[in-house]
Amino acid sequence: MTTATPARTAAPTKGLASRLLHNAHAQFLVFGLLLCLLPSLGSALGLKASTLQTLGFVLIYSIAALGLNLLLGYSGLVSLGTSGFMGLGAYLAAYLQDDLGLGFWCGVLAAVVIPTVVGLLVGVVSLRIRGIYLAIVTLCVSEILLKTFEQLEWFTKGTAGKQSHYPSLFGFQTGRASMFVVCAVALVLVMMLTHNTVHGQLGRALHAMRSSEVAARAMGVNILKYKLFAFALATAYAGLAGALYLFFLKSSYPSTWNLFLSLNVIAMVVVGGLRSIFGTVAGAFIIFAVPELVLKKLPVIGDVSGLPYIFSGILIILVIMFFPQGMKGVADLVRRPFQRRPASGKGAPA
Amino acid sequence: MTTALSIEHLSISFGGLKALDDLSFAIEENQIYGLIGPNGAGKTTVFNCVTQFYKPDQGRVLFTADPDRLGRWTKKAVPSGDGRAVIDLVGLPVHEIIRFGLVRTFQNVEVVPELTLADNVLLGGHVDFKATMAEQMLRLPRARREEKAYRAKALDVLGFLGIAGLANQPAGGQPYGVLKKLEMARTLMAEPRLIILDEPAAGLNDSETEDLAALIRHIRDQYQAAILLVEHDMRLVMSVCERICAISFGKFLAEGAPADIQRDKLVQEAYLGEQE
Amino acid sequence: MDQVLQPLLRSLETGSVYALAALGIIIVWRTSLVMHFAQGSMGMFSGTAVAYVLNHWGLPLWQAVLVGVVVAIALGFLVDFAVIRRLKRATAVGKEIITLGLIMVFLGAAPIIFGTDPMLLPKFIPSGDVSLGGANLSYNGILNISVGVLIALGLFFVLQKTKIGLAIRATASSDQTARLMGIPTRRVTLMSWALAGVLGMLAAVMIAPTVTVTPTFMNTVQVAALFACVLGGFQTFYGPVIGAYLIAVAANFLKLYVSSVWGEQLMYLLILVFLLFRPNGLIGKTYLQKV
Repeated sequence: MTTATPARTAAPTKGLASRLLHNAHAQFLVFGLLLCLLPSLGSALGLKASTLQTLGFVLIYSIAALGLNLLLGYSGLVSLGTSGFMGLGAYLAAYLQDDLGLGFWCGVLAAVVIPTVVGLLVGVVSLRIRGIYLAIVTLCVSEILLKTFEQLEWFTKGTAGKQSHYPSLFGFQTGRASMFVVCAVALVLVMMLTHNTVHGQLGRALHAMRSSEVAARAMGVNILKYKLFAFALATAYAGLAGALYLFFLKSSYPSTWNLFLSLNVIAMVVVGGLRSIFGTVAGAFIIFAVPELVLKKLPVIGDVSGLPYIFSGILIILVIMFFPQGMKGVADLVRRPFQRRPASGKGAPA
Repeated sequence: MTTALSIEHLSISFGGLKALDDLSFAIEENQIYGLIGPNGAGKTTVFNCVTQFYKPDQGRVLFTADPDRLGRWTKKAVPSGDGRAVIDLVGLPVHEIIRFGLVRTFQNVEVVPELTLADNVLLGGHVDFKATMAEQMLRLPRARREEKAYRAKALDVLGFLGIAGLANQPAGGQPYGVLKKLEMARTLMAEPRLIILDEPAAGLNDSETEDLAALIRHIRDQYQAAILLVEHDMRLVMSVCERICAISFGKFLAEGAPADIQRDKLVQEAYLGEQE
Repeated sequence: MDQVLQPLLRSLETGSVYALAALGIIIVWRTSLVMHFAQGSMGMFSGTAVAYVLNHWGLPLWQAVLVGVVVAIALGFLVDFAVIRRLKRATAVGKEIITLGLIMVFLGAAPIIFGTDPMLLPKFIPSGDVSLGGANLSYNGILNISVGVLIALGLFFVLQKTKIGLAIRATASSDQTARLMGIPTRRVTLMSWALAGVLGMLAAVMIAPTVTVTPTFMNTVQVAALFACVLGGFQTFYGPVIGAYLIAVAANFLKLYVSSVWGEQLMYLLILVFLLFRPNGLIGKTYLQKV
């Protein structure tokens, strides 16, 4: 994902500040630092607790959206299972921390590993067939998981909802503000991991796969392996996001993990811009925080329940229809292959 | 002389139509070999069968590789007399072919526009990387070390082709000539034993074609690789190839030195009616 | 005997619902190369319109359905005019995501326009049933089955024997070639979206009496219809219809004899396993990738 020009192009003669500014990891750290300061700064500035809560969810959804962005942006595949895998992560985290008493870290680990294993199985079945099937199969898996959340009462407490607690970390009992910081740290780590993933050998292979599968195969790129990798990573991120969701909200209900959540995560990716790390976070903010913080406050239409859905849906359609140039990544995906060459030709030095 | 690639009794049909019919020919190591034929003769099908994009119905595609490049396919290979090994490529996955040192280019230049020239070249060394996905994601020492070493190699290759100055420019938007060289550089990155060039002269004018011929010879001399030229453009084939195989409607017509092929009755007939 | 026949007859009823929805998806897929994820939600929207007209305007059911037809056609036209035909340059993924956006628009719009109270939609024929070899089938069930089968057969007839059908099939096989041969492909695409809308609305009206009319009442139908297309293969028009009936039968029997809770889920898992062996579905041909 394009976050900054490669560090290589920054001439060594330039100052340290300028080089830091061009280093992607430094950017992520600065961004994370600002986020970590937000809870304490926010209370001084009169930031409402509910606003902080909303922003916390933006961070959590950003993690899930970064995974989906990797999948959609590099393999051109859509997953409709994000919410199911997030839910699985949330319930696993609650089960391990609260029911088994194994603590925060075991909960998070299980929330990442088990959905990834499930995702790998699903991916092996559907990716061998045709790309378009992944959306259908993940839609179905998500429905199956939703049913599981409703029925498996020993695990999820069914529709009554699973209650949890703020975890204790390194002997420190977290609260809402400190969980926000935990989410911010997790997001920055995920951003760094994603940046590393899309650069270097791994990233080149992903780029080649997106650009031309035929050429990528001739260069020794195992397409199935890399698509599976992208899907597994998307699933792992969703699982992590689910665990953080649970610890941040301290509860989970089956109805949360419905199709709309998956669609909203797709909207975050599309609106934020494909293959853009900061764009994804911005997309998560637009899709989740804007309806919560702005639309709901509007007179008359603010009370309408379906408004956030319409907002996301129309944004998806408008971005794909009208702003492919504005968001370079969307342009590359939306245009047909034969449009690619002339399109990529413009704007580059002759 | 050792054979680099030997195609034996290759046949493939699409929906009952025979695209290749019992085709055989062999390329020596370090040889510049031309595969010619009128439009629709099956030239493209031949190398799609060699690179395993198509699975031939019959026949073998025997490739001579260094034993240490065989990896997990060692058991499938048969040692040849001179310490090399011969492997039948038929049935192997497409992405495994480059491992043995068999690389191709594309007729309409397939590079990744968003990546820099150096990164595009590095793609040719994709299978050489030993670091696992996890090592790459966490930027562990081995991943960093490999990246550095192979990037230096990629710059060398770009330098050999005289485009090292553009190494950090994105490939998108570069002139056609640079992109053709870039694709060539990518094949060289893979330390090829055999390079298949798919209509490299397409879209080039006379002087560019002459440059290309010189480049092909230069690559052969410097990199000690055999070159299979699948080409429609007779000027290039006749000037650069040491041996030529002509096919028509998927069938073998003739094989020999360029002068012999030019004189061959069957080849002349096959090309009759074509605007050459 | 009735232990087999009874669920079989009931499956034919749900099968017809799935078949109509699946036909809509496959017609859109074949003419616009769009995976129509919004088929269910568009059906839900016009189906909810039917319920609204019936409950709030007091129109009889058949008149309400006529209103539904108009709404469905209008929606189909709107979607094609406003979005789909402006996407000629978009890839399959871009179009797929557009239909996902449409789901959200329709699911958000339905409660705004028709209110948030759940509504009921009665059966066409309220009561009465026939006995068939120990099994009972309601008159309404017979109607539903016949509507499904007749519409499917009618569509196949139109596709195979009429000029419009030829135009649709030509567009399906190659949009560009069809246009060169003077077929108004834009009108064909427009019609197929409207047709899909009507089929979705009919599916909604048929399934509605067994559930409450809420924004999510077509979710099961949408998943089943998509899987009917996957199972039957995307290359023919009749494959998905066969797939739809098979899915309905399999789901019903698994629910009855294996697990009432997990029957449907089990069936989807079985389909996935089946696809491992036949990736292109029951009536699918293999593709040859052009290099």
